Amino acid sequence: MVMDAPNPSSSAASSFLANLPSRGHFSSTIVSSNPGGMRTYICDHDTSPPEGQHIKTNQQNILIRSLTLKKQRGDSSSKDGSDGSRKRNAEKVLERSSAKKTNNQINSRQEGSNSQTATRDLHNLTVERLRALLKAKGLSTKGKKEELITRLKDATG
Amino acid sequence: MSIWNYVVTAHKPTNVTHSCVGNFTSPQDLNLIIAKCTRIEIHLLSPQGLQPMLDVPIYGRIATLELFRPHGETQDYLFIATERYKFCVLQWDSETAELVTRAMGDVSDRIGRPTDNGQIGIIDPDCRLIGLHLYDGLFKVIPFDNKGQLKEAFNIRCVFAGKLELRIEDLEKDNKDARHVKTYEVALKDKDFVEGPWSQNNLDNGADLLIPVPPPLCGVLIIGEETIVYCSANAFKAIPIRPSITKAYGRVDPDGSRYLLGDHTGLLSLLVITHEKEKVTGLKIEPLGETSIASSISYLDNAFVYIGSSYGDSQPDAKGSYVEVLERYVNLGPIVDFCVVDLERQGQGQVVTCSGAYKDGSLRVVRNGIGINEQASVELQGIKGMWSLRSSTDDPFDTFLVVSFISETRILAMNLEDELEETEIEGFCSQVQTLFCHDAVHNQLVQVTSNSVRLVSSTTRELRNEWFAPSGYSVNVATANATQVLLATGGGHLVYLEIGDGILHEVKHAQLEYEISCLDINPIGENPNHSHLAAVGMWTDISVRIFSLPDLNLVTKEQLGGEIIPRSVLLCAFEGISYLLCALGDGHLLNFMLNTNTGELTDRKKVSLGTQPITLRTFSSKNTTHVFAASDRPTVIYSSNKKLLYSNVNLKEVSHMCPFNSAAFPDSLAIAKEGELTIGTIDDIQKLHIRSIPLGEHARRICHQEQSRTFAICSLKYNPTSGEDSEMHFVRLLDDQTFEFISTYSLDTYEYGCFIISCSFSDDNNVYYCVGTAYVLPEENEPTKGRILVFTVEDGKLQLIAEKETKGAVYCLNAFNGKLLAAINQKIQLYKWVLRDDGTHELQSECGHHGHILALYVQTRGDFIVVGDLMKSISLLIYKHEEGAIEERARDYNANWMSAVEILDDDIYLGAENNFNLFTVRKNSEGATDEERGRLEVVGEYHLGEFINRFRHGSLVMRLPDSDVGQIPTVIFGTINGVIGVIASLPHEQYVFLEKLQSNLRKVIKGVGGLSHEQWRSFNNEKKTVEARNFLDGDLIESFLDLNRSRMDEISKAMDVSVEELCKRVEELTRLH
Repeated sequence: MVMDAPNPSSSAASSFLANLPSRGHFSSTIVSSNPGGMRTYICDHDTSPPEGQHIKTNQQNILIRSLTLKKQRGDSSSKDGSDGSRKRNAEKVLERSSAKKTNNQINSRQEGSNSQTATRDLHNLTVERLRALLKAKGLSTKGKKEELITRLKDATG
Repeated sequence: MSIWNYVVTAHKPTNVTHSCVGNFTSPQDLNLIIAKCTRIEIHLLSPQGLQPMLDVPIYGRIATLELFRPHGETQDYLFIATERYKFCVLQWDSETAELVTRAMGDVSDRIGRPTDNGQIGIIDPDCRLIGLHLYDGLFKVIPFDNKGQLKEAFNIRCVFAGKLELRIEDLEKDNKDARHVKTYEVALKDKDFVEGPWSQNNLDNGADLLIPVPPPLCGVLIIGEETIVYCSANAFKAIPIRPSITKAYGRVDPDGSRYLLGDHTGLLSLLVITHEKEKVTGLKIEPLGETSIASSISYLDNAFVYIGSSYGDSQPDAKGSYVEVLERYVNLGPIVDFCVVDLERQGQGQVVTCSGAYKDGSLRVVRNGIGINEQASVELQGIKGMWSLRSSTDDPFDTFLVVSFISETRILAMNLEDELEETEIEGFCSQVQTLFCHDAVHNQLVQVTSNSVRLVSSTTRELRNEWFAPSGYSVNVATANATQVLLATGGGHLVYLEIGDGILHEVKHAQLEYEISCLDINPIGENPNHSHLAAVGMWTDISVRIFSLPDLNLVTKEQLGGEIIPRSVLLCAFEGISYLLCALGDGHLLNFMLNTNTGELTDRKKVSLGTQPITLRTFSSKNTTHVFAASDRPTVIYSSNKKLLYSNVNLKEVSHMCPFNSAAFPDSLAIAKEGELTIGTIDDIQKLHIRSIPLGEHARRICHQEQSRTFAICSLKYNPTSGEDSEMHFVRLLDDQTFEFISTYSLDTYEYGCFIISCSFSDDNNVYYCVGTAYVLPEENEPTKGRILVFTVEDGKLQLIAEKETKGAVYCLNAFNGKLLAAINQKIQLYKWVLRDDGTHELQSECGHHGHILALYVQTRGDFIVVGDLMKSISLLIYKHEEGAIEERARDYNANWMSAVEILDDDIYLGAENNFNLFTVRKNSEGATDEERGRLEVVGEYHLGEFINRFRHGSLVMRLPDSDVGQIPTVIFGTINGVIGVIASLPHEQYVFLEKLQSNLRKVIKGVGGLSHEQWRSFNNEKKTVEARNFLDGDLIESFLDLNRSRMDEISKAMDVSVEELCKRVEELTRLH
């Protein structure tokens, strides 16, 4: 092959090329490769992976995961603190994000599950959404936003 | 053609995308593993060089290929990730010689934008995690547990875009388009990034390659376009380099002090990190030489390097004057365009591709046939006949090769050094031409010359007996086997001799009414030394006759018809069926079934094999008989499933052939051609043969003109030395035999050749080359100006006859109803060819049709025009003669970004799009409403996994009218990865059968790494994934033939069809390519 232009430092290159690693391959004087004769692999054995090695991605939201981890770390550092409140906090975080995600298909059952959270969530909803929820329960859709929320709350008890 | 299509690969992908070296097949073996898009190849390094081991199809396009070694393992595992977000970890089980799946999974996320710069996958050298960068802003981690098992993957949010490398060094590109590098540590416990120990701002603008430096030096090399920087927590070294884009690197030393870099011009350089006591003191770079433009570099061993290339041939290099090519592995990719031609007029298509890119551009002539592997050759002019002889009757090998010339006979033999040298057989007459030679029983040899038959001992080489032709007559033609001699003298005399121990008996003599042109007594019965039938071809009445032996009674007489005399007859048996082959002087071959008891000839068939007289000879390969027909188009005739098949031999013209099975050249043939005697072995199957014609420039379009016997190409040449205007575009004319440039037309500055066709116009008998061009100006987003140039070929020169300016790029041209149809940006425009008053012609615009984004691909059939749009799939237009207008008839309303279209038949159109899918649409002319009629219904969908640049009707195999596959219409396609494939339209009954076979095969042949065939072949783009329909995977179906018997039985049982029948039907399909 042609070198590009006469190289003044050619001796340097050859010194750099000294002692190239070798493990005994390509050592025969006649080195040639034989591109023909490659066998095509036919795979007729079971190729499903061993148990537990079918890898899936953790579906937990990154933000929630990091918050949870941070919370856990915080808790473990301050050993004490009641278990219940911690759990509730974590739940709250979860709840809020899931509400956000399912924003446009809220189902009323979820609303009823936790009245405290529900009230707050109801305030976050638009009047239009509230009316839709009322309609689903067969209630009147008239009135101000506050009225709608109280009506919904009463209905869910 | 039909909607039921069968897709099969004729030439596998050759574009090397990844390569790596490690101990994969056993702790002692060193392997080179190469990824070629949808296949991986495993090679073994040995003292003699690279030994190919296995070619593994992968159900996916490989995005990452890495070898790694989990803790406690003695050999490496292979990690493969595919572009459709599947990954698998493979281990080689050396006991069963199988690839075992260690783990697999799906790493896709429901949300996320795929990265712009391609997927990146890395494995921590300490085997703690696999890192994947698949979506913008997300970094996926698959952690290992301490037993080397994979655990559930998780995502980490990240803000970088660019390359990731070992130790998670991240190149971050911020909003100001300046590049920085930052290091992060992956905190597995917290599933998050932690800021690493160092970072570096404001790097070289082109810095997009990071090379991790292993311990003890540690750190990272940042390869830019103008500088190379070494960075680590405590050192920073930089050197300037000649401006270049580094495409690939390969580490030479395990300690990471030397690297090979390959740049975009194909320059291979050595980068050295000089160091003292584990402290880096500087960087040095030395150019080594030129190679193909590298896409991957793997240091093999002992100064040998494997350079994988996407644009040129791949090669392991040896160090010589720094770089010396040891071996080239052909790469057809990227196939930008191709045409199907029949250059040697053989009745068989050849594909001529525009392959390679930049300086590695070339034309490749791809042709199907049986190859001869030349082992020795001598220059010898005027060979009139050749025979091989043994030195004793029971010697398994041939010793002598008798070569006959017009006035002498020479005898060649293998000497002790296994060289072919001239020798003598004393008993032979060497001053005259030999008509025939054969081994005879009792260690004897027979030589027939024009005036005698000589019986010679093969041990003493002395003459034992001689039979003389009657005075006044000379022997014209003769034939013999081990115990019999049949010869014909002038005047229609037929003489039959039998060979005894040291004696020749004249047994019978017959007088025929005409002269005899050819004879044969090849034994086809149970006795291999004796024939009871003789075939005789006659002058004058143009007949072939069968005589009984020894009494020379006429059994059958078959008139051949026509005026061409038979020049060679042969009795032969294939698969237990006897045939009489009779070759005529004009290259036609007749074959008959022969009833050996009654001598009856039935089932007459005629094929054309060439244009010159044919000489027929039998030879055996792998214990089966084949017939070699020597002529201007040498052909091998063989039989499969009791059908005679014909395969081209990849030689130009062969005058004589004889089998020559010597100890030094076992199973070889001696072939006389064009003043040369060659000894070589013959391939036992026909396969694709590729001839390269390097151009040194990038050919983008090709077309062939039968009338002027030329090719024309649009090409461009990069000229890196001349600075800014470094691209030059040409229209070049090439001779279709020598492939030399015979004429060139240079296009203007900024003018690109976009399309070329050969066509003629109504009311004009001349044939023209029409070239469509575009002016690609740097300040314009879309070209607004182009030209159509019309050339004729006069005395081997391109003459510009007419030109027409257009208002955009001419993406496509078609000959259409004696006019020229051009696709110009968003418009389809029809031009007519008008004679002006001064006798010259010009292109005059007739009508047009708007309504495309960019009309890139156009095909026509009758008055119908099928347009493949940049992003609006396929639409159908019609030209109305009366109104002189083009109107839209129907369209496919899907948003497919097209890469090629073709018309299969009046109603069905085939498209390829840029997510590597194929689909067919059907015109709905029976629709009840206009709305229905205006919709092209999608009838077939399939994921090919290859980017198709071009479809062409045609075939790679000889289409003889009497064969079954001759009736199946086919389309050939060419892809970026160098795949040549065939799409065949099957009859419905066959399609249903094969579909059933395919679904049964899916249960038996599993995807390597647990990847699913069904998912792989499902049509997939950003919007939808649907199961493949009305397309069959021929590669899977044809792998049936490679299964072992028990698996075949399994399928046969499930299908309720016998194995033989299945084999027969699948074998028939393999003959499509």
